[in-house]
Amino acid sequence: MADLFIQVHEVDGVAVLRAEGFINAHTVRQFEGALEALVHEGKYTILLDCRLLNYISSAGLGAIMGLIETVRENGGDILLCNLQKNVFEIFDTLGFTQLYRVFATEGEALKSLNGTN
Amino acid sequence: MRNPAEPESFRLVIPSQTRYLNLVTGMAKRASIVAGMDDATSAKVSIAVDEAVTNVIVHAYNSEADHQVDIELRFMPQSLEVHICHNGRAIRENEVVLPDPREYVKHPRKGGLGLLLMSRFMDEIRYIETGEGSECCMIKRVV
Repeated sequence: MADLFIQVHEVDGVAVLRAEGFINAHTVRQFEGALEALVHEGKYTILLDCRLLNYISSAGLGAIMGLIETVRENGGDILLCNLQKNVFEIFDTLGFTQLYRVFATEGEALKSLNGTN
Repeated sequence: MRNPAEPESFRLVIPSQTRYLNLVTGMAKRASIVAGMDDATSAKVSIAVDEAVTNVIVHAYNSEADHQVDIELRFMPQSLEVHICHNGRAIRENEVVLPDPREYVKHPRKGGLGLLLMSRFMDEIRYIETGEGSECCMIKRVV
């Protein structure tokens, strides 16, 4: 199995990116490339579904950080859902849970965006 | 035969390539569990090891793939020690500047978060220069 497997689908104008496996210095280009492709397509509201994400290192956090201003300047946002405990802890330790909206489920995240797209 | 006065330990030597990161972090996680840590703590150790080995590959070796990174795990009576040794550019203690996460939240930018994760997830980190090269020593106590 590959270190990282990414699937993207759209729900009500929101690009849902499902990352499965590990995001680290080895896989970050794949992750960053998937995010950048969405932005280039004009999809500025991106929900990262982390249910199957085993961990994310600072390289992956940097990839998200590198695009957050662009998506927000274009009226979008990057949201997170279904974080495993250790992944949540990485975000929380660095104060990122204040920077990004984090939801328990994909449904909750999509509901919060209802009417804002 | 192992000298009983010395701690039990094992080593893994990898090429300086990020495709081996998962191998190293998996080993660090399993070793943490063997040392007596719970799942959450072992996950933190594996992340810290990922960051430290990545620093060596990317910064000490400038992403050159034909070097070696030597990782040794020592099972001490009250802790797990991770020694990451290399012959690349040394990282000196006084060069390590930890970013303030509150500033990151106010002014998002790329980079600098790996050292912060290492410092938050491990109990002690030391950078040592030996005659043979450089070493990052990280310690996690077993509580």
